[in-house]
Amino acid sequence: MSVQTFTTAATVDDAVAALAAGSRPVAGGTDIVVGARSGKAAMPAAIVAIHRVAELHGVEVLGDGRLRLGALATHTEIAANDDVRKRFSALSDACAIVGSHATRAQGTIGGNLMNASPAMETGGPLICLGATATLHSASGTREVAIEDLWLGPGQTTALPGELLVSVEIPSPEAGSGSAYLRLEYRRQMEIAVVGASAFVTVHRGNVIQARVAMTALSPTIRRVPGAADALIGTDGGAAAIEAAGAAVAAAATPISDVRGSADYRRAMAAVITRRAIETALSRARQEDA
Amino acid sequence: MATVEEPRTFIRPDGKEKVTGTGRYTADLVLAGELVAKFRYTDHTHARITRIDASKARALPGVLAVVTHEDVPDVLYGGMVQDRRLFAKDTVRFEGDIVAGVAATTAEIAEHAAALIEIDYEPLPVVTDFEAALADDATLVHPDWEAYEGEESLGRHHNTLGYSTIVKGDVDAALAGADVVVKGRYVTDPVSGVPIEPRAVIAQWQGDKVTVWTSTQVPYAARGGVAHVLQIPESQVRVVVPLLGGGFGAKCDFHFEGHVAALARAARRPVKLVFSRREEFFAVGHRREGMVIEFETGARADGTLVARKARLVLDKGAYCGEGGFFAQMAAMHAHGPYNLENVHIESSLVYSNNQPSSSIRAPTAPQVCWALEQHMDELAAALDLDPVELRRRTAIETGSVTATGQVLEQIAMKETLEKAVEMIGYGQELPEDEAIGVAIGWWPCFASSSGAYVKLNHDGTGTIITGAQENGTGSVMAMPTYVAAELGMKPEDFSLLYQDTDAAPNDMGSCGSQTTFNSGRAVIAAAVDLREQLLDAAADKLEAGRGDLVLADGAVSVQGSPDKSVTIAELASSGAFHGKSLDVPPDGPAAPAEGCVGRLGLESFHAPQLIAHAVRVRVDRGTGVVRVLQVAAAHDCGKILNRIGADGQVYGGVVMGIGQALSEGTQLDENGRHRNAHLTDYKLVTASDAPHIDIAWIETDTPNAGPKGSKGVGEPPCVPTAGAVANAIAKVIGARVHQLPMTPERVWEAGT
Amino acid sequence: MKVETTLTVNGTAYPLELDPGTNLLSAVRDVIGLTGSKEGCDDSECGACMMLLDGQPVNACSYLALQAEGSEITTVEGLADGDTLAPLQAAFLDLGGVQCGFCTPGMLVSATALLDANPQPTEDEVRIGLSGNLCRCTGYDGIVKAVLSVSGQ
Repeated sequence: MSVQTFTTAATVDDAVAALAAGSRPVAGGTDIVVGARSGKAAMPAAIVAIHRVAELHGVEVLGDGRLRLGALATHTEIAANDDVRKRFSALSDACAIVGSHATRAQGTIGGNLMNASPAMETGGPLICLGATATLHSASGTREVAIEDLWLGPGQTTALPGELLVSVEIPSPEAGSGSAYLRLEYRRQMEIAVVGASAFVTVHRGNVIQARVAMTALSPTIRRVPGAADALIGTDGGAAAIEAAGAAVAAAATPISDVRGSADYRRAMAAVITRRAIETALSRARQEDA
Repeated sequence: MATVEEPRTFIRPDGKEKVTGTGRYTADLVLAGELVAKFRYTDHTHARITRIDASKARALPGVLAVVTHEDVPDVLYGGMVQDRRLFAKDTVRFEGDIVAGVAATTAEIAEHAAALIEIDYEPLPVVTDFEAALADDATLVHPDWEAYEGEESLGRHHNTLGYSTIVKGDVDAALAGADVVVKGRYVTDPVSGVPIEPRAVIAQWQGDKVTVWTSTQVPYAARGGVAHVLQIPESQVRVVVPLLGGGFGAKCDFHFEGHVAALARAARRPVKLVFSRREEFFAVGHRREGMVIEFETGARADGTLVARKARLVLDKGAYCGEGGFFAQMAAMHAHGPYNLENVHIESSLVYSNNQPSSSIRAPTAPQVCWALEQHMDELAAALDLDPVELRRRTAIETGSVTATGQVLEQIAMKETLEKAVEMIGYGQELPEDEAIGVAIGWWPCFASSSGAYVKLNHDGTGTIITGAQENGTGSVMAMPTYVAAELGMKPEDFSLLYQDTDAAPNDMGSCGSQTTFNSGRAVIAAAVDLREQLLDAAADKLEAGRGDLVLADGAVSVQGSPDKSVTIAELASSGAFHGKSLDVPPDGPAAPAEGCVGRLGLESFHAPQLIAHAVRVRVDRGTGVVRVLQVAAAHDCGKILNRIGADGQVYGGVVMGIGQALSEGTQLDENGRHRNAHLTDYKLVTASDAPHIDIAWIETDTPNAGPKGSKGVGEPPCVPTAGAVANAIAKVIGARVHQLPMTPERVWEAGT
Repeated sequence: MKVETTLTVNGTAYPLELDPGTNLLSAVRDVIGLTGSKEGCDDSECGACMMLLDGQPVNACSYLALQAEGSEITTVEGLADGDTLAPLQAAFLDLGGVQCGFCTPGMLVSATALLDANPQPTEDEVRIGLSGNLCRCTGYDGIVKAVLSVSGQ
């Protein structure tokens, strides 16, 4: 489990060259080192540290209202951004509750996404907000919708040699709101046992657009179209929310483990989804008003 | 009787080194040439060993020693029953049994070598269901149990390591005649102590003498253990405890010091062992035991408790250690601080192939109290009485006689109840998802031997030499204040020499909430002895009568003639002043305990401490998530000598109690292996979950108390917390949670 | 194969040779010899190893030492001004924030980061900010009081 080579990349090109040579990237270290220490996975033999690559930093609102997150944007930086809090609330919700203040200060959005945990906080919000990831390698650059980024726990669709360089989120339409909520046993230091994200657009009191995603309820975080369908075209009342929650519970394929039984997780899927939708709707209605 | 109001200033002598990072804990020490120790744990939780071959490990470059049972004396050890070996010989009995130890130049080599040891096993049926282990035909965890040396009164039989009863009157007849009878069955998961410092041990031999630096709560027991397992005199073993990073009982008893000393002897080098957090969970022989608790209580319509029947089964795990007294202790908590007319309580402590349980902060009490206090609330509901009112009518008070016949003198049980209820605002209007629960409990003091010296330096400062062990509570750190008060000096005039078995007389160590009670008593006695010597010397020097002398402000002066005076420094500069204590622990109260078996002395509670907790919780009915919002804790712990220290015990103990109530529970698989031996899924309470806690001390004049009327403080704060939380939860969800911890899933299930 | 590097801890530059897999905690404790920061767990849960990296809190047990080259590292040993305790350190002692002391170094470092980012935190913000530091002794009461007292509350 010993690391044989360690390089620090100064540019994206450096980093990509190291990846092409078989190195694994490390940014905040909050997953890779912890994983090795707790015995989940050995440290890679070759590591390229990417934390000094200036191009990979930044939380930036582009001219047309899109949000660009450098792969190295930390949870703290994202959660502290007023524009993210207002327009991309689900992402802000998620970044504010990841781990401890140290995890949030060191852990990056890129690391979080590429770790591909089905319990990660930021995945569901990014799916619901329609985000895309930009992957760069020696052979070029491509964009992947966040919801197409994962194959299973710990597995991404990134090709060998590809580095996630940024995430972009389109500007939400007027009257939109979003929220992320997790079932948490303690108020902090939790890993989602069940999580739900919702994005809705309300126009004159009616839900005209919705996306709902579930976290820690299937091998990858994923959208539940049936839950969105239950909301679209309604006034977002209790019956619609109830139906959306039920749709997520039905779509969930939870496991039983030390954190909870499958039955409990499925029941909580409905509860947490309803609450996430309620919060997203209330935020959207403030925009709609 | 008075309530203490104002905090008194107290700055701990070990404070500066702790806040600057210059203090040294065991893992911080480095000895020249030290090696790293790693253990090879068993691969089975119950099996016969048929072959051990360590040759590949021994041949690995960088390995200086591999030690198995063949390399140490063929002896058994254990505090109350000698049922354990340092290194497994023919049988392994739980996940943490050690087959071999390795000492190597690096951790990686030591780990690799440990993995290279070849062990063949014949698996045996694994006894994880400790209630089923009571059956006559159950697989025996210790087939040789009869051959073991052990405490006679335990009543050992097959897998039953300890059996104790409390019997009074005719309980069945009383139940038949009761107006109301309530029954309940409760189950508790095991819990870990989780000191934030994982244990560390370093051993170094110099000639035939070994020095062991170790993170133990009980240095003298550790010394005795090393001497026994290596069959060397205690005079050849010195145990030194650097700063200790918490214990909570988990670092009581002797254990790993022996392995490391054996490795260091074999390697002819200093050897250091530092546990990972995972080892700190599964490998230690100290965790809070799982239990099955059944109650049946009968009452008259006015609440009078005419009968209490209880059956308790406690999971002892694989080995006894010092925890053999648990059956009787649990029985006493099933009795609880109540007046009972007829009683039949039976309590069994049972071997299993689970991790050994031993003392964790107030052993057995939080679980039994949690069950009993829920049971009492259920009884109150059946009687249509307010739960607090039922306790008012039935709780013990001064003059009450327990079912074992102990006459209780000067206790403030009801006063603590009233105070807790007042502080929390019992009866107030609350939102529909909130409720207040109340629970009461008790805990004894433990009188034992201790000794101390207080010596003066030539410049008039002094040194306190005590066998006491400081585990963070401040009970040793407060000793200079007691000594200074006796000698008319300032606390900062004194240094402390402690946690070194070569320095001070034997001491029980940091366990049983008894450091102030016993070691504090000894230190004060030594100071008094020294004071007498100083007064004698001053009387000579000042040519004054002893009775006219006043010792104050660092000097001895003649009453009424302030110019006739001599400083302590001046007296000290001319001699070798040192005071020592006479070892006179106070006698405990007697209890006839007629008809009770398994008597180990706990049938009477020496200087009992009384506790009442009231908690306000909010329950999320949709998810079962419970937040404790507020706690009011009222304690009768006698006179409080160090308010900041005592308050600290309540703040910490209550928060530990909340963890036990809601989130802390070890989950074992079908073979008795830990499933959550890490802090991600064994959830301690964080700062954001810890509630506001109000504390009241009801000071009583307890007979046979410790120094200056004090009793213990450290353990009681975690006794009734879980019960109070449980009663609050039940009020919100309208149902009982019958398993501890009351996780969100369990609360949700109960309420759905 | 060891790699040469320089780590700057509490303002002092230390030239070192490290295995590339060495974590920052091990480099500071075992190689540099500053043992104030503690190791309490295997998975970034306890916070006893907390250091500051350019002013930001980091679980040093889970951070590669070589990544810290070029950064200012602060440990508990760097909080006092010579022999004068930092206000937070004094407040921890005055208000019962220290018992066994094993969590104290990490707790002090976390509290320092918290107050740097938010000099006037509410009690709840203090509790949230310190949630990555487990304490088994104090119930957090004295610690929270100490942080609030230093922020003038």
